[in-house]
Amino acid sequence: MNRRILTGALAFCLLLPSFLAFAGCASSEKETVLRVYNWEDYISEPTVNDDGSVEDDYVDLIAKFEEENPGVTVEYSTFGTNENMYNELKINAAGYDLVCPSDYMIMKMIAEDMVEPFTQDFLENSSYMRYASPYIKDLFEENGWTEYAAAYMWGTMGYVYDPELSDTVEEDLSGWGGLWQERYARVATIKDSVRDSYFLGVAYYYRDELRELAAQFESGGLNAQDYNARITEIMNRTDAETIDGVKEGLLDLKENLYGFEVDSGKQDMIVGRISINFAWSGDAVYTMDDAEPIYDEETGDLIADGIYLNYIVPEECSNIWFDGWVMPKGANVELAQKFINFLSEPENAVANMNYIGYTSAVAGDAVFDEMVDWYSEGEAGDTDENGDPLIPYDLNYFFGGTGEYDDYVIYVSEESAKRQISAQYPTQEVLTRSAIMQHFDDATNAAVNEMWEEVKGLPIPVWAYIVIAVIAALIVITALSYVYKGKRKDPKPKKGYKVLKKGA
Amino acid sequence: MMKFRFSRKQLCIPYALFLILFVVIPMLMILFYAFTGETADGGISFTLANFADFFTSAAKLSTLLMSFTIAIISTAICLLIAYPLAYVLARSGWKKRSVLLMIFIMPMWINFVLRITALRELLDLIGLLGTENYLNTIIGMVYDFLPFMILPLYTTLEKLDTSYLEAASDLGANKLTVFTRVTFPLSMPGVISGITMVFMPSMTNYVVSDTLSNFNITILGKLIDQYFTTYDNWHMGSMISIILLVIIFLTLLATGGFKEDKDNARGANLW
Repeated sequence: MNRRILTGALAFCLLLPSFLAFAGCASSEKETVLRVYNWEDYISEPTVNDDGSVEDDYVDLIAKFEEENPGVTVEYSTFGTNENMYNELKINAAGYDLVCPSDYMIMKMIAEDMVEPFTQDFLENSSYMRYASPYIKDLFEENGWTEYAAAYMWGTMGYVYDPELSDTVEEDLSGWGGLWQERYARVATIKDSVRDSYFLGVAYYYRDELRELAAQFESGGLNAQDYNARITEIMNRTDAETIDGVKEGLLDLKENLYGFEVDSGKQDMIVGRISINFAWSGDAVYTMDDAEPIYDEETGDLIADGIYLNYIVPEECSNIWFDGWVMPKGANVELAQKFINFLSEPENAVANMNYIGYTSAVAGDAVFDEMVDWYSEGEAGDTDENGDPLIPYDLNYFFGGTGEYDDYVIYVSEESAKRQISAQYPTQEVLTRSAIMQHFDDATNAAVNEMWEEVKGLPIPVWAYIVIAVIAALIVITALSYVYKGKRKDPKPKKGYKVLKKGA
Repeated sequence: MMKFRFSRKQLCIPYALFLILFVVIPMLMILFYAFTGETADGGISFTLANFADFFTSAAKLSTLLMSFTIAIISTAICLLIAYPLAYVLARSGWKKRSVLLMIFIMPMWINFVLRITALRELLDLIGLLGTENYLNTIIGMVYDFLPFMILPLYTTLEKLDTSYLEAASDLGANKLTVFTRVTFPLSMPGVISGITMVFMPSMTNYVVSDTLSNFNITILGKLIDQYFTTYDNWHMGSMISIILLVIIFLTLLATGGFKEDKDNARGANLW
């Protein structure tokens, strides 16, 4: 019996009532139903109030798509982890037309021949091909994903930190190893996620080698492409020595950390409970936005207190991550591609960026205008409030060729360049040292997971051994006392008394 | 023609169906997964490797040890707090004592994730969050599961036949002796029931340990969750579940929870 049948049987048992409920309506309108499976909170949708009324704060993209394509209904469902999504696809292979996994899961799905390729027409003339950033398209082309996946959101990994934490915090965090410093004890969190933490561990373990490469690149001894290839090789090492080194590094780090987090890191940063967080760039933008003080737009009075946080991608390297759309085998390709194209219209990408806070893989003038609106503090030659000249933030690498403008540069103050914009759009320099993390094969995965388990489960505090020893001693004593009691003979009766037999 | 005869037995059919669908079949599947593994060509074969892996992995054994320790300490603290309370409550002649009892039970009616999140803020305020991970987790477990200890203890002690106590006093036992020789032994079913109800969830309720220790402490429940949701290895996840099941079964056996005792038939034992 293979696993799919078995899991299917389990799902059947658990979902029997809902199957019965939905059986009637599943089959009738198959051609016009698009079944989308996406991350939670990963598409623009308006806020629904408690009383059921709908606010008009965010664009309802799904409704808009249905409006533009009469007769099409979108069945939208969400997942929480890549692995949950993967298992669901294994059980219910024909259940979805479009799913949005992360980079490594896309690689795994392509390798396992689970996805439908795009049509030639889509690859030649589609909104996605037209508006997707040339940087992203090149990246996909180099790795051979173009035919199967369309990028949705992307970003880097780095540290969000409070610049007021110490005088040298910026310098300390310009290397991944900054987190290991004793002066940052109990103020930092990292992700409770194997892959992200493994990346951090590798970057720390090979920090000297990475620094050396950086020096070579800077002195001109290495071109950008080779430099990136070398970094990618290092960051994808999974041999036993590396895994062991990462384990030691992370165990050391654990002693110094406030803790790990899945989602609480953003809020903990905003309220100031922690001061450094190892974060995805998209979450970093959200954190920085929410932590800022709020001023009244007209009077300029302070409404809510806050802090200005910074984002930094350490000098050794970073991880470039993305989530993208793929069509599982058997999907309604035409409709799925229509939906990807719809999401790739720059104005819809803007709606998504406003809602999600992450960076869309789509460029185009509408997106750039929005960015100018968000970040621009003036023109070339202008000065900021301190009288320092604004610095150019060059985004030509990302937007070039996707719109009508000649030059995609935003002028920002030096302070602002360390904030949201650096997380939203990394500079080309940062991308040169950003590596894609490949998908691990099963054996590697098992070894890395085992490493992570040890990091999370060790060490056991001494008092726990004492408690266990005491309990064990108690059990032994109780057992012995029973044995002893059993062996003790009944006391002899006093003179003149007789013991009656039990039951007599 | 067959006649349909309604009998009392048929009232059990809904539950029998439930039992088969949601208890028996899933149990069998967990057993199946636990003792199988994927072969290189993607097939499934019988193996004891999961079992062997569990008991040779330092990480899993230390997780087991840590969960066990946390659960034992939490259970002991719950017992120490709950017993005197239940005793006083059950012995007092106060007519409104059910109101008081309700106050102790009421937290159970509020969603526990909410309570734990609130507790996290409170611990942060006191300054324990981020420094005392083990203490926080134990506080959380005790806070969460105390009502489960109070309830069975209270029911047993309340139903205790006072004539036994009076007889003991008449025969010359002082108050302490009455307690140690009569009251406590007679309340054992409640104690055991309370212990099982606190000990079991304390080993697996990882929402408490994750939230209050900032993910610094891993307990068995978390490990199981990891194997199903992120490591994508249902075989090991099932094996850990089975091992946990056996541990709980052994604990029950050791505390005499399966004794066919007349005292157990008092209805005080919730199991």
